[in-house]
Amino acid sequence: AQELKFANFTPPFHTVNASVIEKLNADMSAATDGVLTVRGYHGGELGKGPVEQYIRAVQGVADITWGLQGYTSSQFEKAMIVELPGVVPEGKSGADALWDAMDLIGGEFPGTVPVALWTSEPNVMIMREKVVRSPSDLEGLKIRVAGATAGKVAEALGATPVQMPINQVYNALQTGLIDGVFTGSSTLDDFKLDEVANSFTIGAPLGRLSFFAVMGQGSYEALSDEAKAAFDASVGRDVSNNAESAWNATGVAGVARARQDAKNTFVDLTEAEIQAFRDAVSAVTSTYVADVGGDATLAAMQK
Amino acid sequence: MRLWPQCRSKRLENIRKLADRLIGLSAAIGSTALLVAVVVVLIDVIGRAAGNPLYGSQDITTMAMTVLVFAPMALCDRRGGHVAVDLFERYFPARMNKLIDILVAIFGAVIFAALAWATWDSAKLSVMLNLSTNLLYLPKAWFQWGMIAFMSLASLGLALRALELSLTGRDVRAEKSL
Amino acid sequence: MMDTTAGLVGIAVLFVLLALRIPVAFAMFMVGFFGIWALNGLNAATSLLASEAFTFGSSPELLVIPLFILMGNVASITGMSRQLYDAAYAVIGSVKGGLASATVIGCGGFAALSGSSVASALTMGKVALGEMERYKYDPRLSTGVVAAGGTLGILIPPSTGFVIYAILTEQSIGRLFLAGVFPGLLLVSLFVLAVTVLCYLRPEYGPAGPKTSMNEKLVAVSKAGPIVAVIVLTIGGIYGGLFSPVEAAAVGAGAVILIGFAMRSLPLVALWTAAKESVVTTATVMLILIAAHMINPFLALSHIPTLVGGFMDGLDLSATGVLLVILLIYIILGCFLEGFAMLVLTLPIFFPIIVAEGIDPIWFGVLVVLALEMGLISPPVGLNVFIVKSIAPKVSLGQIFSGVALFWFMMLVTLVILVMVPQISLFLPTTMFG
Ligand code: NA
Ligand code: NA
Repeated sequence: AQELKFANFTPPFHTVNASVIEKLNADMSAATDGVLTVRGYHGGELGKGPVEQYIRAVQGVADITWGLQGYTSSQFEKAMIVELPGVVPEGKSGADALWDAMDLIGGEFPGTVPVALWTSEPNVMIMREKVVRSPSDLEGLKIRVAGATAGKVAEALGATPVQMPINQVYNALQTGLIDGVFTGSSTLDDFKLDEVANSFTIGAPLGRLSFFAVMGQGSYEALSDEAKAAFDASVGRDVSNNAESAWNATGVAGVARARQDAKNTFVDLTEAEIQAFRDAVSAVTSTYVADVGGDATLAAMQK
Repeated sequence: MRLWPQCRSKRLENIRKLADRLIGLSAAIGSTALLVAVVVVLIDVIGRAAGNPLYGSQDITTMAMTVLVFAPMALCDRRGGHVAVDLFERYFPARMNKLIDILVAIFGAVIFAALAWATWDSAKLSVMLNLSTNLLYLPKAWFQWGMIAFMSLASLGLALRALELSLTGRDVRAEKSL
Repeated sequence: MMDTTAGLVGIAVLFVLLALRIPVAFAMFMVGFFGIWALNGLNAATSLLASEAFTFGSSPELLVIPLFILMGNVASITGMSRQLYDAAYAVIGSVKGGLASATVIGCGGFAALSGSSVASALTMGKVALGEMERYKYDPRLSTGVVAAGGTLGILIPPSTGFVIYAILTEQSIGRLFLAGVFPGLLLVSLFVLAVTVLCYLRPEYGPAGPKTSMNEKLVAVSKAGPIVAVIVLTIGGIYGGLFSPVEAAAVGAGAVILIGFAMRSLPLVALWTAAKESVVTTATVMLILIAAHMINPFLALSHIPTLVGGFMDGLDLSATGVLLVILLIYIILGCFLEGFAMLVLTLPIFFPIIVAEGIDPIWFGVLVVLALEMGLISPPVGLNVFIVKSIAPKVSLGQIFSGVALFWFMMLVTLVILVMVPQISLFLPTTMFG
């Protein structure tokens, strides 16, 4: 029997556990009659924080790790295109967009075998005391952003982007240090942001987050032929789409719960209102794609 | 122990002088990084209140932190700054305490050498993966190379202390510090 | 089974190394490194060495440590700490142990500014230790007060302890913060009571000063104006939304530096010395933190936490019994584990048991954080005691541990009270959130 170590920097009930770690465990042990299993090490037990996860897979701290491309965006210049506003077409999953571009972005994952690549639900505006219906409502507001491209989006909408670790956002929203956050609605649950935010704007093209799960090349080579076959059959589009659906479900549940709360204002933008945001941010996407020479990648993601 | 020839002991003292200069320089780099971090945060806070935060301030402060944490490591040991449990020291015979002092210095030298070596490995990966900070694109490897230099100096300082303790009995930690 | 044996051997070796005076950080590095090597290979061990060093050495949250130390150092060099303690001395110095009580209250106030026990102990230590020495307080009392008072940083909001607990258990951060307020005030009162009783029985611990006139009191208090203004500015700025708690540390440091320049009490040379002292202390503290996080993956790989959870399941206790056993385990684990590492390792095991027993998770959170505070000052691995030792090199570790013993006992009393009267923790969050 062989147990693959899957390092998870989030708590065990985080969406990733059921949708990726337990699914891989179920699929691989079914294919090998329980010879090959996957065990999650949660809460950063095998090493703290999201930033170093890719490296930990390459160096064999764990067999499989997962993380956010956005924490080390310089490594994932082309893969990051999927995060930009308006890139993933309506009706297509971010996971499929990433796997369709695999020939072009595969070089950004050296030393590992990709297990899953997927994206979050689209970002929404999570605001405190500020109701946003048009870009002009954001003028001068301080918005927490995760990375450079999200910062450009906030700037294009007239807001002031503020850099801050996600676990400080709760306090910052509460004290009014920032007026809002652009992020996926699943963080409502994960970081309790709905306790301190009271205005939500949904539908604006703000981009999304992207994720990877990878296995270290060394761990992969060490598998027996039979185990390799079971592994190859368990990874890829299928588990990626499974993860993405789970993320979407967490996001939907978070929004549904927040809608129940009478203190909250929900702004569901109309098509005309959305267009104003789309016009404001379209240059961000085209500029980024041009800067990284990503025309072919963009086309593959959108095909 | 005292059979160690005079001229070699002299040479050891010269090495100590050179080492102390490097240790002082390293700590000075760390102090500078701390003051830079203070100034950067202040500019960011004041600028943000005026609607104009400092772009990439967190990139600068976190990377300054790698400098201010590791640059003073050598001086920290030079002053005997590493905290140890001294509850049983008085029950140990003097020879054992001396032996422990030498062993601690050797262990420390090995640990900092291992840290430097591991960071060297990791820095090669940073170059391969093109890792940098998110807004200002400060290459991660630059700061890891800095850490390696500081860790190596701390390792050499500890090794020198082990040598001095075992050859001449000199304990720099007890002397007036830098 | 072999993994577990390795884990137990590792813990035993750690104890031996610590008893042999191997520096705390070195001992944890060695046990963590060789333990991970044994259970997960040399590559994993080396890789973690580099990645934990970089992760902690570039953490935006931990920047508060050097910044607050700098603030404390500059405050003492410029005489601002002295003015603050002169004021406290003029007001309550005539009471036996008055300055130690004032320090406890100061720690409680500082905890409203800092979410970290380490930063609290460091800053308050820099400000208070020299001053209490000046007024002939026993070093056991002064270091004990600072080490124990510093732990209030994670009970009184804001608190990184509650944030980590909330994220690990999906609880409300806001409720937890509110739940910590009354227990924090209770603990402050019990600390003050302990100081007063001790100094009443043994006046040499905190000798009483001369009585002062109202006029003398007013003069002393007005002289402390600048440092009081800095404290009001930093706390006010956080709650007014001007800056984050981390940034508050830089604002505080910047403010004392500017005041020092303006009052000509801070020559550039002195600022340079303060910066150097600050980074050296930071290096000590950070090396311990990094090393503590080499132990964490080692224990996870040994599966000891899972085993303890299974053992708990097999005991078949009542809800109160389960709660008491878990708290006892936390107090014991707290002796040799860094607090947050302990939460990460154990909560996934204990929390489901707590929920199944119908124990209120917010109340449990307060109890756990208090147990964690006890761990910060209990031997042999007491992080806050090490912190205080790093800024009071002349006082032996044994003296500091004997000094905190009284306060550790008061924490135990508080824990018992909180177990018996859940309303102390739950009153505020229930009133505010319903
Ligand atoms: Na606090
Ligand atoms: Na302890």
